[in-house]
Amino acid sequence: MTLIFRTGLLLALAAVLPSWAATPARTLVVAQSIDDIVSLDPAEGFELSSVSAFTSLYQRLLQPDPLHPSQLRPALAASWRAGSDGRSLTFKLRPGARFASGNPVRADDVAFSLIRAVKLNKSPAFILNELGWKADNIDASIKVVAGDQVRVVWPAAVGASFALHILSAPVASIVDSKLALANAQNGDSGNGWLKTHSAGSGPFKIRQYLPHEALVLDANVGSPAGAPRLASVIVKNVADAAARRLLVEQGDADIARDLGPDQVAALHGGVHVESVPSAAVDYLAFNAANAENPALKNPALWEAARWLVDYDGIAGKLLKGQFKVHQAFLPTGFPGALNDRPYRLDVARARAILARAGLKDVTIKLDIFNQPPYPEIAQSLQASFAQAGIHLQIQPAVGSQIYAKVRSQTHQAAILFWIPDYFDAHSNASAFAINRNDGTKTVAWRNGWVIPALSDKTDAAVRESDAARREQRYREIQREVQTHSPFVIAFQAQDQVVLRNGVKGYVQGLLADMVYYDRVSK
Amino acid sequence: MTAASLLARGLRRLGTHALTWGLTLSGLLLFTFLLSRLSPIDSALQWVGDHASASSYAQARLALGLDRPLPLQFAHYLGQLLHGDLGMSRSTSQPVLDDLKRVFPATLELATVAIVVGSAFGLSLALLSARYPGGAIDTLARVFALFAYSLPVFWLGLLALLLFYARLHWAGGPGRLDDVYLYTLPQGSGFLLYDAWRSGDRTLLANVLSHLCLPALVLALHACANIARLMRAGLLAEMRKDYILASRARGAGPWRVLLAHALPNAGALLLTVLALSYAGLLEGAVLTETVFAWPGVGRYLTTALFAADTAAILGATLLIGLCFILLNALADVLIHFFDPRSV
Repeated sequence: MTLIFRTGLLLALAAVLPSWAATPARTLVVAQSIDDIVSLDPAEGFELSSVSAFTSLYQRLLQPDPLHPSQLRPALAASWRAGSDGRSLTFKLRPGARFASGNPVRADDVAFSLIRAVKLNKSPAFILNELGWKADNIDASIKVVAGDQVRVVWPAAVGASFALHILSAPVASIVDSKLALANAQNGDSGNGWLKTHSAGSGPFKIRQYLPHEALVLDANVGSPAGAPRLASVIVKNVADAAARRLLVEQGDADIARDLGPDQVAALHGGVHVESVPSAAVDYLAFNAANAENPALKNPALWEAARWLVDYDGIAGKLLKGQFKVHQAFLPTGFPGALNDRPYRLDVARARAILARAGLKDVTIKLDIFNQPPYPEIAQSLQASFAQAGIHLQIQPAVGSQIYAKVRSQTHQAAILFWIPDYFDAHSNASAFAINRNDGTKTVAWRNGWVIPALSDKTDAAVRESDAARREQRYREIQREVQTHSPFVIAFQAQDQVVLRNGVKGYVQGLLADMVYYDRVSK
Repeated sequence: MTAASLLARGLRRLGTHALTWGLTLSGLLLFTFLLSRLSPIDSALQWVGDHASASSYAQARLALGLDRPLPLQFAHYLGQLLHGDLGMSRSTSQPVLDDLKRVFPATLELATVAIVVGSAFGLSLALLSARYPGGAIDTLARVFALFAYSLPVFWLGLLALLLFYARLHWAGGPGRLDDVYLYTLPQGSGFLLYDAWRSGDRTLLANVLSHLCLPALVLALHACANIARLMRAGLLAEMRKDYILASRARGAGPWRVLLAHALPNAGALLLTVLALSYAGLLEGAVLTETVFAWPGVGRYLTTALFAADTAAILGATLLIGLCFILLNALADVLIHFFDPRSV
């Protein structure tokens, strides 16, 4: 009886409903998980979802070209010139630029934004710290020269081209100081308000942000970046990947992100997939500082491990389309990245290396994230390492738990990933190839890799002002890490974005912030 | 018994109950607090991320009060709570109270529709089973209840979406509304059925219903199975008692015996089962809410748990605890009202 009734009810519902609704015209509906958003303040937000919104909401003085990210393009700055001292830059602002609020973009806003980001000292502040800027010297480092000119100086021994890349990172977004200060509370420079509102000059502005539900953007037609083609963008929180797939197949979403490889393979009905290289590199790390297991600091283990990863099996079959084999710490797309692949699965060679070093029957605890694709990768590693007598005990856990473990050097081995924070080789080089044991928890420090000489070399590379020589230095550093470190860098991620067939003009770049909705039409 | 002594007894009982509820709630808070604090998740790290500098990390620890000893942190939280302040959620950057006001109506609406539908069908099934015990209808109902009870609800949800939303286009997809309506509605009560009905916009109401029907039916199916199983057993136990025999002997028909005699006597059981099922649904059907992208308490609590967002975890736990206690208290009062013999 209940079944009959229920079917009847559904039939009745079907009769009163239109077949199904497509997304509203001139509105782009994006289905993704936005549960990670902590803050939409560019001086604080450092999660993938918030960072991916910043390019839509804010402009920086200069920004990477979407298609050729190594080239910087003027955004709010019309031009700039480097000082003769090599430690300063003067920016001239674009005339007539206005924020979404209608306030003009002034040199004061630039100074306010940079000083604010350093003083708030939230997650992404370390990027500005690379220039030697700290709360106590930032006021003196940014000077308004004229109403439309601002001069920045920095104490760190780095060149102007590096400084330009730092200033093109999302944390250096220019915030409408009048609007931010009007909403400030208890001297927070508007941080509390900006967590959920926007005060920028980007092609969109926040209409409404409902945490864990949706981020709704409206076009900012007066944006100096040009008016977007769409009237609004709804980034809808759909935590379940299967539901995201259904939504985009049905036409209830125009774009869906983060589908698993199986879901992408099974897609049908009016959608297509765009594969966008991402700058995330995935690596296996052995912690040489862990005294529980002496094998971990044996370079023979590191060397053998490089021959024990089934690179093609994982990238080609297991995670088809979502990973490509990449064995250097600079991702493809970064100037100077090493794109060759000297290592492949060769169990016999690994066995010989281990035998020479007298290593046999080694058991290693392997920490991994409990989310796909890490369990799959770990199982593949477990199988191939076992063939050479290395037994991996897989220990899945949530992200923050693994990070806490790695940062306290209590892990044995872990599969991790690293995303560059700004578009310069130093972002990754400083993580993988510097260990000063000075309290900075670089990737090299976390895994107890003692490298005084290589650290010097990496510091020298960032000071190098000649672009070609600088690239050469990074190639050498990458090779050193590739052949001698306790890291097995194995993959570079590829984002598979699913779009409805009518959606045109979507652009996504290498870094997390390079998501461009302004040229999209449907 | 005089009116005064009745009142005194009532007040005494209320006092005992209030004490129990208070103790339950504070125990719940302490337990949740300890669990969230003793878990290996570093909430400062969760906040600033893995790349942040040591000074940003230290600043975050300070801001979260993690530098203070545990008992002080808990005392501080309780102090705030007494002033009606549930604290700030770190993962939404909003006061927890505002968050709960936003997510609770979504869960309450879903749970209420589910319990109404589920109990109507569940009770009907139980009555049919009790009327024809051992018969074909009874067997069918029992098999149905067993299946519905054992099917994982998220799987059923996905299948329902696949069939009724993706294939047949009979129902709305994940979410509470189509995007055409979403975020353009003026802020209402949060109960979309009520808001839509009040707005007088029929297509809007139809849209709300089309999105609500799948998650509500999936949850209702589960509640229905639970109620049917327990009520069948309860009714059959009543039917074996002497007073049923007596009323039969006086010539009452089988339906009359069942509805007018057995059912009221199984009322206490019915109320308890209903209260527990409803409370279970209010607790936030985490998986259902995830599959249907339903922005309710269950999803809020899970994301808070993953983010080690202590204020949000404690706030949501407190709300769920309150729901449980209130519903149980309500059931107690009603049972007492219907059957004054029960204590």
